[in-house]
Amino acid sequence: MDAVSLVSPVLRGPFTGRARREVAFCVLTLPFGVFIPLAGFFATVDAGLLLGSGPPWVADGNPSGQAVGAAVGVAALLTVLLVTTGAARRLTAACRGLAGRLLGEQVTAPPPLASRGARGLAARIADGPGWRALAYLLLKFPVMLLECFAVAVLWGAGLANLTYPFWWLSFRNHSPGTRLSPVPVITPFDWIGQGHFTVATFPGTFAAFAAGAGMVLAAPWVTRMVVAADRRLIRGLLSPGPLARRLADLERTRALAVDDAATRLRRLERDLHDGAQIRLATLAMNLGMAKKKLGDSGAVPDADAARELVDTALQGARDALGELRELARGIHPPVLDNGLPDALASLAADSAIPARLACRLPDRPAPAIEAIAYFCAAELLANAAKHSAAATITIDVSQRAGLLVLTVTDDGRGGVDPGRGSGLAGLAQRAAVVDGRLDITSPPGGPTRVTAELPLHT
Amino acid sequence: MRIVIAEDAALFRAGLVRLLQDEGHQVRAAVADGAALLAAVAEHHPDVVIADIRMPPTWTDEGLRAAVELRRAHPGTAVLVLSQYIETGYAARLLSASPAGVGYLLKDRVADVDEFTDAVTRIAAGGTALDPEVVRHLLAGSRRSGGLDPLTARERDVLALMAEGRSNAGIADALVLSLGTAEKHVASIFAKLGLPASATDNRRVLAVLHYLRP
Repeated sequence: MDAVSLVSPVLRGPFTGRARREVAFCVLTLPFGVFIPLAGFFATVDAGLLLGSGPPWVADGNPSGQAVGAAVGVAALLTVLLVTTGAARRLTAACRGLAGRLLGEQVTAPPPLASRGARGLAARIADGPGWRALAYLLLKFPVMLLECFAVAVLWGAGLANLTYPFWWLSFRNHSPGTRLSPVPVITPFDWIGQGHFTVATFPGTFAAFAAGAGMVLAAPWVTRMVVAADRRLIRGLLSPGPLARRLADLERTRALAVDDAATRLRRLERDLHDGAQIRLATLAMNLGMAKKKLGDSGAVPDADAARELVDTALQGARDALGELRELARGIHPPVLDNGLPDALASLAADSAIPARLACRLPDRPAPAIEAIAYFCAAELLANAAKHSAAATITIDVSQRAGLLVLTVTDDGRGGVDPGRGSGLAGLAQRAAVVDGRLDITSPPGGPTRVTAELPLHT
Repeated sequence: MRIVIAEDAALFRAGLVRLLQDEGHQVRAAVADGAALLAAVAEHHPDVVIADIRMPPTWTDEGLRAAVELRRAHPGTAVLVLSQYIETGYAARLLSASPAGVGYLLKDRVADVDEFTDAVTRIAAGGTALDPEVVRHLLAGSRRSGGLDPLTARERDVLALMAEGRSNAGIADALVLSLGTAEKHVASIFAKLGLPASATDNRRVLAVLHYLRP
């Protein structure tokens, strides 16, 4: 990496939209950081004042036991109130919204309390997302301090320092001999008592300018770091909890499973209607015609036509049987009853492109998993035969940490786009229904490798 | 008779063409979807159209919609709708769009060549041909509601055949009765159910269906 490509992002850093949006986020969410300390402070102090005529609040110049107890009590009450009234949720909803709009941090809101039919006090106290929202508000305070430092000191003071040389000559043009006190320059290190310096002369302002330039160049990166901490908090605490996420996942995959089942039934009906059923109707029609040609009794009026019609009917019966056999096999391949290795072996043997099978599966998976793995492999083989122009395909099945791992690799032209064509998307959905997953790598030029990970048992 | 066929399954279509030709009818066109059917009818002005209900492009009820449209635009053309399923609702739609010159049969019925050609002839003459399956559904509904209680078992058989669209002679044939006995049963049914006695077969069918309709 050359010097230019190293330096240019640093120089451009302060002027990017991302830097502006992060500063805006820090400024706009500042009230949420100060909310808890302020509310806590006023609540506990006011409690002391309101109960002022009560027990002695100060003993030996220190808060008395009662004072501490009252403060703790009020703080606890405040905490519970923040959660049970939903105030914590509402406050953090604003933070989540700002994070989404300014940081592009899209976090799903936890499900509302009321929608789960839980309105009682007990349910409100047990409101997990509410407590996590409160935790965010508490942790936001230190993060907010860091964000203030980045924005106020690095950005604010940095930009101020940059202006020193420009106003110096217009404001410090007093007649010679006038004694002027030096002007302080703020640096990020002021708070440890170092680095603070003052300027008294025009050339000195260039030192302030240099300090400002350094601060402004550093500002976006420091801001990004502290905002990153805030992002982590938002992701961890303001999203639905693990259970709610699981619930949402299950709801989604259940909907997929229901859709999938409906689609498959519909396709089955279509296949029957357009296949075996119409073949049998045609067969019946041909036999009806043949019967007519044979006449009611005695001599056959048109034996040739009758024979030909019976032949056609026979062919129709064979076709209908073949069609039904294919259909039945598509619903559940009987070879699958002998286990996945056998079924995959016959699939590999039937493959249009030569397929090599390696199957190391010590435990037998659940039947549903075997079926999904089988249809997955069948679909991938069919896809490869149709689109890949591959010379060989490898099917690899192994077991890893309670997972069945099916990998189908072809040496074809690659460039498979899972978004286009519903085949792969459908496979991914079926895998998701059993908490499995589908990985597709298919760079242009190949090879294409699709890995399905399925739990051994549903 | 001049006939136009619309059926998307090629094998069945070919069989149907052969069957009708063997029976001495002229098949002017055999097409595979509803739009082509409308065009073929406009061109050939057939006496009868035989249409599959489920055809491209949507595979839902193209044939039925085309039939309704045809009855409106070409009142001289009778329409026989074929299907692999019987939906009573479809029969109701067809009959309410056009009370005469329509038929609705299962594809299975084609296997009985004489029955099938009889149905085609009947609707071409302005009659009605309803699948026994549709009639069975309607009768079952009426039986549940007790509407058929006054009828004897034999009268119910006659009612079913009447609803299919058969004439007194056809009923007598099917049940192996004398024409006079069949006529007596029919008169008795009309009296018991309070139906207006109708002269033509078609109005008779409608009266029965009107009575049976839930």
